[in-house]
Amino acid sequence: MKLIDMARVIRSKNAGPTTLTLDLLFNDEAGYQHALNSPALQPAAIAPLYDLRADQVTLIAYPPAIAIKIAMDRKIVAGNPGDRDVYGAQQHGPLLEIEI
Amino acid sequence: MSAAVIAIEKLRAEVKSANGLAPLRVLSASGQLGYGVPEAAFNEGLRRQPHFIGCDMGSIDPGPYYLGSGNIATSEAQTRGDLTTVLRGARSINVPLIIGTAGCAGASPHLDTVLAMVREVARAERLHFKLASIRADMPRDAVKRAIRAGKVKPLGAIADLTEADVDASTQLVGQMGIEAFQRALDAGADVVIAGRACDTAVYAAIPGMLGYPLGPAMHMAKIVECASLCTTPGGRDALLGTLDGESFIVDSMNPIRNASPMSVAAHSLYEQGDPYRVYEPEGTLHVDTARYEQLDAHRCRITGARWEPAKQFTVKIEGAAKVGERALMLAGCADPRAIAAMKEILPAVEKTVRELTSKTVKEAFQVYHRVYGIDGVFNWAQPPEPLPREVFVMVEIIAQTAEAAKSVATVFKQFLLHHGFPGRISTGGNLAFPFTPPEVVTGPAYRFSAYHVMEVDDLPALFPVSIEQL
Repeated sequence: MKLIDMARVIRSKNAGPTTLTLDLLFNDEAGYQHALNSPALQPAAIAPLYDLRADQVTLIAYPPAIAIKIAMDRKIVAGNPGDRDVYGAQQHGPLLEIEI
Repeated sequence: MSAAVIAIEKLRAEVKSANGLAPLRVLSASGQLGYGVPEAAFNEGLRRQPHFIGCDMGSIDPGPYYLGSGNIATSEAQTRGDLTTVLRGARSINVPLIIGTAGCAGASPHLDTVLAMVREVARAERLHFKLASIRADMPRDAVKRAIRAGKVKPLGAIADLTEADVDASTQLVGQMGIEAFQRALDAGADVVIAGRACDTAVYAAIPGMLGYPLGPAMHMAKIVECASLCTTPGGRDALLGTLDGESFIVDSMNPIRNASPMSVAAHSLYEQGDPYRVYEPEGTLHVDTARYEQLDAHRCRITGARWEPAKQFTVKIEGAAKVGERALMLAGCADPRAIAAMKEILPAVEKTVRELTSKTVKEAFQVYHRVYGIDGVFNWAQPPEPLPREVFVMVEIIAQTAEAAKSVATVFKQFLLHHGFPGRISTGGNLAFPFTPPEVVTGPAYRFSAYHVMEVDDLPALFPVSIEQL
């Protein structure tokens, strides 16, 4: 199943200029649990999509909102020369096609 | 005026009750003052008789330009309008007004711009109050001493701070916590306008002074600082937080925006690297133990957050340094062969342009290409299949002078327009300009020179308070 069919929100945003975070808010508890246990969402699988090493990616489960947060290093500090997305609000694209 | 009780003492008397502390009502007028304050919700908030009103005005999100240049991010007219709304509102019910991170980035130029507007509004509206301003510019010598003592650490993926970075920064600020606001209120302020500040400090300073427990107070502050963003549907309307000892209630002043356990809990994810912890100068807020319950269809009650006082005070420091002057070349392309070859064409043209301008532009310059439709927003490993029918090309030049940047952009335009490549059929030109000139000079370009955390022993020394009577 594709992540986009399980989550009502898939968003990206800076958490400060050096960190990008991806929030996945799931439609239901079952989807959340399924995704949480999926190898496709582990740092080792996410990191290459963002051209990072696995140790630059952290996954945090957040049950109160049946959500998963993925925090990662930004390759370029927000707004510095060479950046493509100062707010980091459009960096979720690679997640949309992930198969869980 | 001298005989009058100062604002914070008046609040102390008001919340004192037989069995401890009465519920404290906190009105969040705006999460981004300067982009418009929805008036119906704000006026409803005033009718609820809040004990104080807060607004956040800043963020580091818009990038290094605003901090570095000293320019405010919001329009002047809209900012003056919003300041008028909240100043008039707070004075009409005679309660403190606290504004954090003046003018987006909160360095002295931003703070001075906002203070000038506040004085103007006060004069025009015949408002009289004690105004406190709190500066957040970090003393360069103190930061350099801290670097030498190993007391400055990177926040995330950024290099260690150097003394050269400190010197290069046009502005260097620190995020103040509740301590600075509390000093301003102790000095008798009715209105506090702060430079760079923690969003939470705007809302947690007064509860802390009045004796409310800091765990729930900080958690409430963290949620209300974005106004009604924590509701469904989320929005910018004013939000009322009611702090009742160990719990608080979240209540949007727009009846269509409902707070639910899910919507409020989800807000802890927003723009946070870690949804369970919020680091402040004076300690850490832990929300892993928080519980969210539905009070009625519109309101939510939250309990259980804990505050852990810091063993060592820390201040987040933010700096921006100028990297040069920026010019852009903007154009479209609809030729399938040019689009297919664009990733090879752009570096080839850059090489030609660097050779041709080497005699006229002596200083180094940076060139960045963006092909919107292919990789403008995200650096995709592979181009899309099929390729798009049209793309938008932006070539960004950062040079030492605006003239040099524009000169390079102009030469780039001409050679990209007429660049020959294998299989070219559209020999009239590779680009479509929606207008000319297609080169645009956008002004100075900045980088973040500091995003670090500094250990600090003397917080008051870093955030001086000034008082004036308006």
